Amino acid sequence: MLVRRHFLSLGAVLLAATALCAPALASDRKPVSGGKLTWGVETEPATLNPQLNGQDKTKLLLRNAYESLLARTAEGGYVPWLATDYDISEDGRTYTFRLRDGVTFTDGQAFNAAAVATNFARLKDATYSGSVSAGPVARIIDIKTPDERTVSFTLDRVYAPFLDYAAGLELLSPGAFASGQLKSGGPEIAGTGPFILKRYAKGQEIRFARNPDYNWAPANAGHQGPAYLDEVTYRFLPESSVPTGALSSGQVDVIEGVSGNDAGLFKGHADFSYQTALNTGTPYSLFLNVTWGPTEDVRVRKALIAAIDVDGVLKSVYRGERTRAWGITSPVDTQFYDKTIEKSYGADPKRANQLLDEAGWTSRDPQGFRTKDGKRLTIEVVQAQATVRDQRDVLLQALQAQARQNAGIDLAIVFVDAGTYTERRKTGQFGSIANSNTPTDAIDIEYHYLPVDRGGSINYSRAAAPELSQWLKEAASTLDHKKRFELYARLQRFAILDQAYALPLYEPEDQVAAASYVKGIGFRPFKQMPESAYDLWRSE
Amino acid sequence: MDSHNTSAINPAPALGASRPFRLRRNGLTAQIAGRVGSGLLVLWAAVTLSFVSLHLAPGDIVSLLIGEQLRTPEVEAAIRAEWGLDEPLLSQYLSYLTRILHGDFGRSYILQTDVSQLVLSQILPTLKLTAAALVVAIVFAVVSAVLTAGRRIPRSVAGALELTLVSTPSFWLGILLLYLFSFTLKLFPVSGDRSFSALVLPALSLGLPLGAVVGQVLRQGLERALEEPFALTVRSWGTSGLVLRLRHGLRHAALPAVTLTGWLVGSLLSGAVITESVFGRPGLGRITVEAVLGHDMPVVLAVAILSAFTYVTLSTLVDVLYLLLDPRLRDESRESAR
Repeated sequence: MLVRRHFLSLGAVLLAATALCAPALASDRKPVSGGKLTWGVETEPATLNPQLNGQDKTKLLLRNAYESLLARTAEGGYVPWLATDYDISEDGRTYTFRLRDGVTFTDGQAFNAAAVATNFARLKDATYSGSVSAGPVARIIDIKTPDERTVSFTLDRVYAPFLDYAAGLELLSPGAFASGQLKSGGPEIAGTGPFILKRYAKGQEIRFARNPDYNWAPANAGHQGPAYLDEVTYRFLPESSVPTGALSSGQVDVIEGVSGNDAGLFKGHADFSYQTALNTGTPYSLFLNVTWGPTEDVRVRKALIAAIDVDGVLKSVYRGERTRAWGITSPVDTQFYDKTIEKSYGADPKRANQLLDEAGWTSRDPQGFRTKDGKRLTIEVVQAQATVRDQRDVLLQALQAQARQNAGIDLAIVFVDAGTYTERRKTGQFGSIANSNTPTDAIDIEYHYLPVDRGGSINYSRAAAPELSQWLKEAASTLDHKKRFELYARLQRFAILDQAYALPLYEPEDQVAAASYVKGIGFRPFKQMPESAYDLWRSE
Repeated sequence: MDSHNTSAINPAPALGASRPFRLRRNGLTAQIAGRVGSGLLVLWAAVTLSFVSLHLAPGDIVSLLIGEQLRTPEVEAAIRAEWGLDEPLLSQYLSYLTRILHGDFGRSYILQTDVSQLVLSQILPTLKLTAAALVVAIVFAVVSAVLTAGRRIPRSVAGALELTLVSTPSFWLGILLLYLFSFTLKLFPVSGDRSFSALVLPALSLGLPLGAVVGQVLRQGLERALEEPFALTVRSWGTSGLVLRLRHGLRHAALPAVTLTGWLVGSLLSGAVITESVFGRPGLGRITVEAVLGHDMPVVLAVAILSAFTYVTLSTLVDVLYLLLDPRLRDESRESAR
């Protein structure tokens, strides 16, 4: 028997699509083509090659030019895009995609099975893709192109997150792999997208022009055919207070990244629209190192978690503009988030103090911190100075105050340069590192909970309990959704409640604010990142 | 680098100390050769120091490049092989030097682009900003010094303004100017290296603090000049006060100010980083900071060479300016050459 997955029938898709964009249309006239748009963004891409770029904040602009095989629905399903259909073999190891006809890359090359195969084959080569080669592509043992429109990948064994990866990989023109710009990205690297990358001025802006031949939008996009805008320019404004001023004075039309304090400028204002979406992936959490310092003791870890009132801290730091997190993955991940963990722990200073007494941290020094054998109970939170954003420095300071006040724990925040940060991560000499990530399909959980040397590249609790690997392996090697959910739920209880590896703090989110004449703004279904400019149009 | 600046600062001719342009016959070629030689020495020292200090700084390049991504021995090996990091340090250093001598500055580890192109693409916006800031500084300094020197009340008002400008962090000054002239009055655009009007605010925020420092020095020099006997002579011809200040006083006052400006222009290049990011401008400053943080050696070395080159050129320019400004220096060099 072939395990075959069919898409919704065309009619159902169209219905869903109309329903999706209905609110946008109801409030205004029919979308009009033409015009230019300027979008202020905070983060500049390190590379414009979407396959090598790991910065989530730059996806919104790269997706204008580069597309993938399947698009996702809000519920986590898949709809056709550059592939019209896919199936998974009975043994769960071979993925076959049937490709859409009539698609061309913007450099004129044909989009066909060979082109897709080239992309995956090249990604397996570490000299091209570096760390990416160690990711899901490493599991591919065979790539076949039985005909012009069919491509299939066979894995060494069942790996459930592969579909998410393969369906979402941005595909480059085969011609790109011969270009000198391959690794840095740039106008020579063609994709199939609704816009063509025209000009990149480092440190200033990146400009895309409409692809007039475009006619292959995903089935759940806001419209079909070419994009509305003639041209869209993303301007880099790295200083966080500048984009808001630029938008309110009319110098840019859209911005992303609005701080909690500035949200009020646009929220509910007639001249602007303001939208937010919670990120997917692991929430911003304080990971507690189980191999170094006082946090080696599970009682100390549990005490820290019990000592802190996360709700109170978030309210004071973000004015209620951020969402409390409880688990190992985002509450918007409808596939694998088990919400029974909510409100099951925390904010219990009495228990915190009891645990610390039990652990032998009984005496106090003149500053009021607990000590044991003359040593202060210090948990060192290492933070790379350059990556502080979203007022996380303030958040950490608020946690520090609570830990001290409620339990006599010295949560020392150490700001370091990128080099020292790398060094401390590598040697494991830190008490805690706070971090979040955004991959979906439980890949975020693998990165955080597999052993450090077995794919847990950001396993900052450095947990290596055999149960973790066992559950993760089991969950990844079955396509049975319900079974996977149960395994991740079990892991969540073990990691947070039993072992206190991490204190989940809040779910990072994306914000987009725009002048009211900009229509069609939205977030990518399921992945929740700001969407490309494809559906945007100007109503004036 | 320093030896050059001190050679430019020490002779402070207004004080009549030893001067660099006292030449013998056929001394000019020797002088030029000496300049070029020491210039090369400075360049070499800059490259070597940058190379050594980046290797002494914590964090190895491979780990920094991998960052928070998956790390396997194969990935590490591929990165080492790509950038020649598996060779011993000394041979990495020597191969850098050889390549630089051949005009090949290599590729950026992080941005993956050709370093010469990267630096060239960023140098023009930086030069524009620096030049505009310099104009702002000089105009501000001259106007403030000429109008207020020797006048009690204007002098203290200007002094207070200058002190405020010098002590305001350029970040704040930039944001303040933006809020006032861009976001509220909508006179100038916020960002980029696009039109002349986009240059105004960044040039002001970078140039005003510099102008304030130079203005103070210039005013003191002007006041000293106005007290000298020649000032009385000029006045006795019936020359107006303003002409006296502009045509005669300013020349006397300019020497220490020129020295200081030459030295401060070097610091404009490094101070530009904050201005660049506030105004979303391209430029060398931001590239340099990112390269140092990421241990992006080829970029760091290229910028080190460029800035050493700039310092050497500037200190030479300052020396030439001395000759233009003070005829006595020219006469002396001619005399001693006779």
